[in-house]
Amino acid sequence: MTNNYTHEKSGYTMTTVAEEAARCLLCHDAPCSKACPANTDPAKFIRSVRFRNIKGAADTIRTNNALGAICARVCPTEKYCELACSRSGIDTPIDIGGIQRYVTDFEQQAKMDILEKGPANGLKIAIVGSGPAGLQSATTLLEKGYAVDIFEKNTKPGGYLTYGIPEYRLPQDIVDYEIKRITNLGANLHLNTAIGEDITMDQLKADYDSVILAVGASEAKMLPMFDGNAYTESAVDFLARVKDAQGQISDVPENAVVIGGGDVAMDVATTLKRLGTKNVTDMAYEEFDEFRASKKELAGTREAGVTLVDGYVPTAIDGNEVTFKHRNIDAEMTIKADKIILAIGQQVNTDKLGITTEHGEVSFIGYRTDDPKVYVTGDIAHGDKTVVWAVRKGKEVAEEIDNALMGGNRK
Amino acid sequence: MIKKDLGIDFLGVHFENPFCLSSSPVGNCYEMCAKAFDEGWGGVVFKTIGPEHFKVDEVSPRFDELTKEGTPFVGFKNMEQIAEHSLQENLDDLAHLKRDYPTKIVIASIMGTNEEDWVELAKLVTDAGADMIEMNLSCPQMTSHEMGSDVGTNPELVKKYCEAVKRGSDLPMMAKMTPNITDMVPAAKAAMAGGADGIATINTVKSISNLDLDKKVALPIVNGKSSISGFSGKAVKPIALRFIQQLRVAAGLEQLPISGIGGIETWEDAVEFILLGSTTLQVTTAVMQYGYRIVEDMKNGLMHYMDEQGVDHLSDLVGLANKNILPAEDLDRDYKVYPKIDWDKCIGCGRCFVSCFDGAHQAITWDEKTRRPSVDYSKCVGCQLCNLVCPVGAISTGKIEMKPGREGKIEDVDIESVRLTH
Repeated sequence: MTNNYTHEKSGYTMTTVAEEAARCLLCHDAPCSKACPANTDPAKFIRSVRFRNIKGAADTIRTNNALGAICARVCPTEKYCELACSRSGIDTPIDIGGIQRYVTDFEQQAKMDILEKGPANGLKIAIVGSGPAGLQSATTLLEKGYAVDIFEKNTKPGGYLTYGIPEYRLPQDIVDYEIKRITNLGANLHLNTAIGEDITMDQLKADYDSVILAVGASEAKMLPMFDGNAYTESAVDFLARVKDAQGQISDVPENAVVIGGGDVAMDVATTLKRLGTKNVTDMAYEEFDEFRASKKELAGTREAGVTLVDGYVPTAIDGNEVTFKHRNIDAEMTIKADKIILAIGQQVNTDKLGITTEHGEVSFIGYRTDDPKVYVTGDIAHGDKTVVWAVRKGKEVAEEIDNALMGGNRK
Repeated sequence: MIKKDLGIDFLGVHFENPFCLSSSPVGNCYEMCAKAFDEGWGGVVFKTIGPEHFKVDEVSPRFDELTKEGTPFVGFKNMEQIAEHSLQENLDDLAHLKRDYPTKIVIASIMGTNEEDWVELAKLVTDAGADMIEMNLSCPQMTSHEMGSDVGTNPELVKKYCEAVKRGSDLPMMAKMTPNITDMVPAAKAAMAGGADGIATINTVKSISNLDLDKKVALPIVNGKSSISGFSGKAVKPIALRFIQQLRVAAGLEQLPISGIGGIETWEDAVEFILLGSTTLQVTTAVMQYGYRIVEDMKNGLMHYMDEQGVDHLSDLVGLANKNILPAEDLDRDYKVYPKIDWDKCIGCGRCFVSCFDGAHQAITWDEKTRRPSVDYSKCVGCQLCNLVCPVGAISTGKIEMKPGREGKIEDVDIESVRLTH
């Protein structure tokens, strides 16, 4: 295996994707198609692949999911469609993510243009945040005939897709292409535009028929004991600067300790190995039987040669020495590292957005805030924080706005 | 380690095993045939030798394949004609092979354009030391209508040319028949009447395998155009078996010696050809895909089969299945057999439900909650389509029932097959 940070694992060829699709049992009332939070219909697109209709497969994926090529790569399918797969009764589930990647790569190579803008209805929607939920809600609204402006505080669009997920797992050109499809459809992207600084919420509410707050959990959580420690960096900052530099950073540590047990921690640990860090130790709060990281991510991290230690919490730090204690047994270990990266979660910042959040999300279920013009979606809306859930929430908030604004006028 | 004698006599010639290369690109020169012998083939039918005056001029590319899902070479299309080397080179190779491999069987395949050619070629290959002659009356891609399958469909020409060969040689001779004919029996009888000692069949089936959809040309594309040519491989096996069966049950041909050809790639295929009356077997397509080494598993598998069947002489198996294939009107139609569903094996895919509804008699019901099928006996006709589509072997043949008013005992009904029930 190459350690190259920018090297994505090869996908299927026409022959190998046909072999994988031939394993599919083509179930009646297929369980996989009922298991996707974003309503993807794998049974339909795999059947298309089986009968050599790759363009039809692309139609199925793309019309449902504006981020189909991204989901193909980053979705924890083992928890959804692949968990439901009947083939597991024989051996292993169909590699649904892999087949989806083949189809969406084909779609891109064939320059297919599947999404269609709806006839303009004269209504304008502002979306704050260009992460997956913002991008999907923009797409659904454009398909329904709304004009859409997306406001992004960063210099590049995509949110966590661009700044968080490492290149070897999600190449930036895939993200860029997905976004290009959406801007081609008519979304106006306003980059370097922070709400409350460059434009106010009141202004947005005055200028648009509705405003969607699709801000993600983009700020790192930290632990007080690491405040001011020169060796410590947040996972969010580390992943963002590595991706921005496409792996060409000058301070690759010799040894590193990563604290955290989720997918982000796995990404950080694997990224370090791919950059050339010799010893990477990941210290996780959870024990393996309660691990939060997806199996795919965990397996990739192990394959990269990361030392994984489960059940430990940091209790003290002294310069570059961190002491950990096991949560349940009487055990303690001290690790000295050139770099300490905290991947213990992220939080949202809604200071200037006029809403309040608790534990990273709004206190109500659904997408409507007290202000009839303002909606929430993505991480801050109730529900899971994965990309596939962002797609679901993006579609749902768009439907809700459409019902509110056009409900009586649409057949 | 299994050890069985695979030796068998065919047209008075002893083969150490029945597996031969068929006349084709796989036996085109000394080196190829020598390697095949070294890897265990019992005989080779050297690539068809034509008369000096017929100039072979091949196209490029010249092959195509039929695929299904991820499976390559389900069938194979070939546009190559007879041997390209000079007549003298071919004759030298035959002599060289026989000299170096005296116990292996070298069969000369020949093809002429007229009686003189056939006589002359028969003499030449006999002098070169061949053990047997095969008359190629069946190649569907010759550039001359005086050669190939057009000749093989004409019983008069077949008889005349067989007589010519017999005038030129006293070697045992088999006539290779084309499947591009409704009934092979008249052509085979004509060959036997003309002096042939046996029949080799089938040659390839005339075909168009695939089209390039942008260029609207069949494959392979030969500078913008293509031609109908011979199709072979696994996909033609059922057609080959049918012709061989019909030859063996034709009045007067019951003991017809046959060299079976058509899609053989496993020992099971080989056994099928033997059970339907083939004494020797010929293979090309599987060799083109996988190489001569496939003979190892065909031989070993055949030995294990003989062991399981308690058979010591391969010849004891020849034609054993012929009597069990009857005209459709003679089959027992007095009963039906229902499918039996094994709930422990069922994985709930619903394929039986879909196929029964869309392709049979709507006799399988589906429980949406438990994702399990059941049989509705009031509608089931016992076709067993469900049994065939089940991917996990959870459906087998179950209860047998006599149709109302029919004679016969349920215990006497024999429908079990390890192949049908996975």
